[in-house]
This record gives sequence, C-alpha cells and structure tokens, in this order.
Amino acid sequence: MTDWKKTAEALNPPIPEADVEKLLPVMEALEKAFLPLQRTLTSESDVWTGPEDVA
Amino acid sequence: MTILEMAEALRTKKVSSLELTNDTLQKIKDSRLNAFITVIEDAARARASAMDAELSHGIDRGPMHGVPISHKDLVYTKGVRTTGGSKIFKDFVPDHDADIAISLERAGSVLVGKTNLHEFAYGITSTNPHFGAVRNPWDPERIPGGSSGGSGAAVAAGILPFATGTDTGGSIRIPASFCGVTGLKPTFGLISKRGVMPLGWTMDHMGPITKTVRDCAVAFHAMGGPAVDLKSTAIRGLRIGLPTNYYFDKLDLDVSESVRTAVQTAAALGARIIDIKVPDIDALNVVGRMLLLAEATSVHRENLLTRRADIGADVVTLLDQGRLIRGSDYVDAQRLRRIYCREFSKLWSEVDCIFTPTTPTAAPKIGQMTMKVGSVDEDVRLATTRLMRAINILGIPALSIPCGFTKAGLPIGLQILGAPRAEEMILRVGAAIEDATGVVGRKPGA
Repeated sequence: MTDWKKTAEALNPPIPEADVEKLLPVMEALEKAFLPLQRTLTSESDVWTGPEDVA
Repeated sequence: MTILEMAEALRTKKVSSLELTNDTLQKIKDSRLNAFITVIEDAARARASAMDAELSHGIDRGPMHGVPISHKDLVYTKGVRTTGGSKIFKDFVPDHDADIAISLERAGSVLVGKTNLHEFAYGITSTNPHFGAVRNPWDPERIPGGSSGGSGAAVAAGILPFATGTDTGGSIRIPASFCGVTGLKPTFGLISKRGVMPLGWTMDHMGPITKTVRDCAVAFHAMGGPAVDLKSTAIRGLRIGLPTNYYFDKLDLDVSESVRTAVQTAAALGARIIDIKVPDIDALNVVGRMLLLAEATSVHRENLLTRRADIGADVVTLLDQGRLIRGSDYVDAQRLRRIYCREFSKLWSEVDCIFTPTTPTAAPKIGQMTMKVGSVDEDVRLATTRLMRAINILGIPALSIPCGFTKAGLPIGLQILGAPRAEEMILRVGAAIEDATGVVGRKPGA
C-alpha cells in the first residue's frame, strides 16, 4: 500500500504537515477500495467517453 | 406561484412582471435563509419592465417570459459578479454570459440575483464560510443540502419558482430532497456547461430546481433541453424497476416508507413494478470519488497553492486529497467507469425507469458531521452522496421529487432514473406521482 505521508511530503510544494494526518485515513480507505477494482481491468478495458458510449 | 401560474397570470394581465419581480425582491429582503449572495434589484426591475412592454406589444417568448429566476453563483453572468461561493472570486465580474444564462434570457426570464452555494460547489451542506450558511426553509437549524443549497432553499421558500443548479455528485438532487422541491440532473452533456465554473469536467451537469415537475420541464427546455410534453401523464404499463440491492439497504425508516408508498402509487396508476438487481454501486462511488478528487484539484490547483488560507478547511482537505491521486489511477477509474456504464445499461432492456430514495435521510443539522442512518453512524457527506454519486458517473438523467415527510415534518425525496436522454419519460412519471400524492402542496414555515 502507498505511504501517503511520504507521498504528501514529496509533493512540490508539500502538503503542510499539520494537514497531512487528516488525509491519511481517507486515502488509505480509498486505495483499499480502489485496488481490487483496478485489478479487474484488462488490456481491452477502454476509457469512458460518455453515457451513450456503451455499445 | 409556479412558473406556469405566473405565465397564466401575466397573459391574463392579473399581474405584471414588474409586480412579480418586486414581490420576489421583497421576499429576498424578508428572508432569513441567506439563500442569495448577490441581488440585482435595479437591473431586475428594468428587465421586468422590458418584458412587460414586450408582452403588451404582442411579443411572447413563451412560459418563462417575465418570470423571476436566479442562477447558482457558479453561472457566469456578464456584468454581475460570480463568486463560486469563494472568497477568491468575491469580486470577479465575468465579461460574458454562460450559455444557459443566454438561453434563459432569450426565453424572457428576469434574473434577480445569484444564489448561495457550497464553496466551489465542492460539498453538500452549503454552509459557506465566506458568505454564511444557507438555511433550510423547513427548519432553519438544518442544512438545505448542496451544493446548490441557495437555489433549493429559495424555491422551497416560494421566493421564486425556479433557480439553476449544477450537479457533480448530487448537488441538484440533494437540495431538492432536503428542501422538498423538484430537481433534474439531465443526461451528461445535454445542457451546455460553457461559462459555468467547473468542478469535475466529466461529471458536471446543469439543471433546473423548481417547485413542480411541470415547471421543471419548462425550465429544462428554457435552459436548452428538448421540449417536453406533459399533457398526458399516463404511466399504465410502464416498467418501473425497484432495486432489491443497495438502494434500500441503509435508510431511515421514514424515507423507506415514503419511497415505497410512491412505488405503490405508481402501481395503482397502472405501472408494472419489477424487482431488479443493480450493479455494484459502492464500486461506482469509489470510482466517482477518485475521478472527482483528481478533476476538482486540477480545476483549483492554483487557488490551492497560492490562496490556501482563503479556502474553507473542508474544501482544502478535499483539494489536498486530489493532489495525491496518481495519473494512472485516474485513467483506470475512467476505464472502470466504461465497464460499469455497460453493465448498468443492460437494465434498460428490463425496465423503463428506476425508483430509489434520493437521500438516505432527511436534512441534517447545520454543523453536524456525522449522522445516524438507521442504527449506524455515518459521515454526513458520504451518507448524503451515497445514492447520488454513481448516477453522475453513469451520466444518466435523474429526477428528484418530494414524495413525503418524516415524522418531524422534513421533506423526503424520490429519485427517478432513466436511460440516457429519457428526460421526458422520467418527467412524465414524476408528474404522475406528483399529481397523485399532492405532497407538493405543503409549504415550509421559514
């Protein structure tokens, strides 16, 4: 899993230290939910282009 | 009065546009809801007089002619400041109109002002740190929802019959639900967004907030949508999908009962109720959050980096989160979106529309961060958008209409979903339910 604290510190400019802590639980939960979905993608999975582009 | 009642009164000369406009301006002054950021009294009166003169000379632009309206303060209005609910843009005066402002002006409407909203439209409370909290007309201690909270509150309070809204993750439908009014999020891309301050380009939708469904159809057309014929609201034989998973899993009992009563009403009108299983809405919500975090931070990156102290704490937190989203994750979220759109679209071979609750609860209190949904404590923002966000990802049309009240007297919203470009059908269903229930006749106290 991503070390979000290090990632936040590595940004230019970094996210202020005082604000980083409150981001961590949200980012960790989002990553935890997103990773299994991401793993279902295949090389044939194309990008969304609009609500009617479903054929 | 509704748009259609005003239209009738104007043409039978029972009232003038100037009188309607003066009445609206007085109601704004008397209101304690803080629904407006900017009011343009002189310009509105001049415009109303011009619209009266046109009608007296036989020039009739249609049902919006002479009707007072307001724009959510994200909509560019030439010569009238457009703040986006932000301190950073508190003195920003656009040099051009948004497309919808042009459309509504051509339709003859009278702009009276700009309605308050959640800062940058990035939130659901409309508790704006720079322009003050918008209050709910049904209980001023409660939020009107957001981000189009000023529009919802103004229409619900009867200040005017129509205000524009934007919806990126529920921002038209949530205020419609919490304020007991009608809100339409049309098909993605159907109404022009040019000249509207963006939040998430691939999820932003423009739409009307009105008192009634028939007014909603009129306003939708005046904003640039196709004409909608609601002369017949017969829904006999229509296939209405009722989700057996997700949408009724975590709700307040009052909400569940009211929505199920609306379903029974539809059945009594001859609709066929069909149980359906919807695709993984939790997954769609995750994809939606990923997309919005990245897109909103792209929109406001410079503001975040150069004017951080001038942005409210809740919005700063979301914009910071957006800085952490990787580019490849954003693209993968858009790829997942296509898969879920395909899965969801299969439902349209089984049903014509889908009924769900709009929000899992009625309006929470101002400042409330968590709330009990059934027996579970949930974050107010996540709970309130739980039944909304996926629909922005799908880009399908969604209508929210009032369908009942809690025991405490707060409005409850019914969400009606349709296939892309099925606005006329969902408006017809909404009008049928509205006519049959009579819920829309009840008025708030504040």
